[in-house]
Amino acid sequence: MNENINSGTGLTNDLKDRYLLFNIEDTKYGFSLEYVLEIINVPSLTPVPGVAHYIKGIINLRGKIIPIIDVRLKLGLPEREHDDKTCIIVLNIHDMQAGVIVDSVSEVVNAENSQLSVPADFGEASSRYLSSILEIDNKIVLNIDCEKFFSADLESQF
Amino acid sequence: MSYIDPGMRDMLDTFVHETETMLEELDEILLESERARSISADNIGGIFRITHTIKGSAAMMGIDGISNLSHAVEDVFYILRNAPSKLDLVFDTIFDLVFQTSDFLKRELEKLQVQGNDYIPDDPSGLIKKLHLQAAILSGESAPQESEKAAAEKEPDCGEAGQSCRYKIHIFFNDDSQMENLRAFMLLSQLEGCCDYLGSDPEHPEADSSLSEEIAKNGFIIYCTPASSIDEVKQTIENSLNVKSYEIVDLLPDNPDDKSLRSEEQADATSSKATQSPGTGGPIKAPARGAKQSLISVNQAKLDQLMDLVGEIVTAESMVGSNPDLRGLKLDNFTKSFRELRKLTNELQDIVMAMRMVPLQTTFHKMDRIVRDMSKKLGKKTELVTEGGDTEVDKTINDAMVDPFMHMIRNSMDHGIEPPEERLAHGKPELGRITLSARNVGGEILIEVADDGCGLDAEKLLEKAERNGLLTKPASAYTDREAYNLILAPGFSTNAEVTEFSGRGVGMDVVRKNVEQIGGTISINSVKGQGTTFTIKIPLTLAIVNGMNISVGGTVFTLPIASINQSFKVNDPGQIIRNTNGTEMIIIRGECYPIVRLNRYFGIDGGIEDITDGIMIQVNNNDSKACIFADELIGEFQVVVKPFPSFFSKYDLKKRGLSGCSILGDGSISLILDSNNLICDL
Repeated sequence: MNENINSGTGLTNDLKDRYLLFNIEDTKYGFSLEYVLEIINVPSLTPVPGVAHYIKGIINLRGKIIPIIDVRLKLGLPEREHDDKTCIIVLNIHDMQAGVIVDSVSEVVNAENSQLSVPADFGEASSRYLSSILEIDNKIVLNIDCEKFFSADLESQF
Repeated sequence: MSYIDPGMRDMLDTFVHETETMLEELDEILLESERARSISADNIGGIFRITHTIKGSAAMMGIDGISNLSHAVEDVFYILRNAPSKLDLVFDTIFDLVFQTSDFLKRELEKLQVQGNDYIPDDPSGLIKKLHLQAAILSGESAPQESEKAAAEKEPDCGEAGQSCRYKIHIFFNDDSQMENLRAFMLLSQLEGCCDYLGSDPEHPEADSSLSEEIAKNGFIIYCTPASSIDEVKQTIENSLNVKSYEIVDLLPDNPDDKSLRSEEQADATSSKATQSPGTGGPIKAPARGAKQSLISVNQAKLDQLMDLVGEIVTAESMVGSNPDLRGLKLDNFTKSFRELRKLTNELQDIVMAMRMVPLQTTFHKMDRIVRDMSKKLGKKTELVTEGGDTEVDKTINDAMVDPFMHMIRNSMDHGIEPPEERLAHGKPELGRITLSARNVGGEILIEVADDGCGLDAEKLLEKAERNGLLTKPASAYTDREAYNLILAPGFSTNAEVTEFSGRGVGMDVVRKNVEQIGGTISINSVKGQGTTFTIKIPLTLAIVNGMNISVGGTVFTLPIASINQSFKVNDPGQIIRNTNGTEMIIIRGECYPIVRLNRYFGIDGGIEDITDGIMIQVNNNDSKACIFADELIGEFQVVVKPFPSFFSKYDLKKRGLSGCSILGDGSISLILDSNNLICDL
């Protein structure tokens, strides 16, 4: 499952309109491809004491130390046993890498503006991080805004 | 508007670096000479060469302040070179002035580096004036001797010129080009390559900045005989900066008018004639390079990158070696090749580490300067003795140590060393002594800053700390050593008055912070009336640490070997004493140590709870001691320290006792413990 999505694709501009879809419970979420570096299996995590509960630890990705966040915990959902579909999406945000644990990844879709709609703000954890809602093949995809998603973790630096 | 010519910007870094190196050299020469109370011909030549080179390159960069100032120094030493005996007349003034110059130049360089394009030069004219005054005093007495010498030199030179000179080129520079004399000089050095004979009027335009007006007004005349054709010369002139117009006149080889003109001019220029020292050649090229030719300067970021890569390789190598796929296989050839690989990676690692090592010598020399200046200002007589300056440390550590050294020495000078009368009254030699020593002690550098001054007074320290509200327990409970350490606390100053050098209570605090930042420790020892010694232990390098890996639950921690005193098993649970607030303690050889259970401290599931099953590790830092309780010792490893991802910066893990992480041989990660903070947190 180790594939490098960004390799060989064009400019980030093109990536913006493409989304990597992944599943948490029965809901489909999407990350804009411009942030996605790669998808990896879940290696053994080294927990770091004294950090937020949703940071599951750090991993060694080819010599780089990368923090891993469990999307479920971040969204306020209960944790789940990892299975063979569980994987980590490695994201690059402000030149910093971080991985997120998701239940499974499904596909990459092209989205046009007409398919996107603005999410209503319910003030809940899950809706706070959304950038848009995508309707594709009669399925609803909640697109997560990476900037918002990590804003709490990055705030000390900006 | 930017001060630096856009075309020169690329050169700026090189200029700053080279000039800094030369200024350090200058300081060394000055200090050495000042101590000896005399200056050798070699050293005069050295100073002359340095100022000359700085002047040339600064003029090239268009930084007139630096150029003019170095020129003034050069003038003084030019006179001294011809008449060294005159030095006694103005010894102290000259040294002070040159030191001030050196400081001024260093400040300017720093500004250049920091401000870059927004660089605003300071005005050195005050210093220049003073230097000129000294030069006048010197030359006033030595003038006759000098002109005699110059006159003797003049004749043969002139004759030769008359015979071989072929063209006369009259050059005008742009109206606003400034420093015309140096531009003329640069043009001359450019032409050197393509001419058999080269002369000019004025003959040595670089020697005297006052010529620049003359050149601006009347133009600059070059006499030359081209090596091949005049076209080459033309081209060089056309290509050089700031030339407004030029005119070439073909001369007959023996044109008498021209010859007489030359001699006449030369008579005027006698005083500046010999400025061009025989060994100097083109001043832009530093002649002393010979010895340093094998050195190149490398961007430190590149070295850091290389270091990282080598760290990766070391890790990757052990991943291959301990690969689970190989388990149980008998692979003779593989083992052989692998051993070879390991040998090479080890060698590579050593070399990369060595590349980052610099001797402490230069840093020590900087301290010489401080001791000298402070001795003068405070009226105390002090000498600085340095030992082990050739001890090498990582560049980052070296840079981080400059400030602490400075503060410690200032502290010793200001508070430690007594005034001469007092010293004599106490039966000590009049000359105070500060010893700065460094040596390698088993993977660590031990640095000592010792003075033979009055020593620290524990009672006074406590009294003062109490006033400043720095005491955390009753004053009577402090040991002498603990009291000494109070001077390292922020906001503590033993000097009642704030002086130029110390008393603001920030200095020693900086010392501790800097030392700790590079993973070092500091302790103070003092005997009243005999002196104070600061002992600093710093790791050889920051990047690779010798550590003991210990496991707690499923987590692996690395504890730097340097902080481990011993490890042992507790056989009898009765040895553990429980405090009322629940903290546990253990008594070892009559001393009481608090116990840190890593699993509880870090909230790790599954660590061993029974104190007799796990292992106890006794750690020592300064005067705080503790025992760390873990599941088991895994073994001693060299680990490459990696900082935590910046993602964690808001959690301040360092405070929690974790200084970083490292990748182990099997690709897993260990957390590096910082026992200092771990204990402080108790």
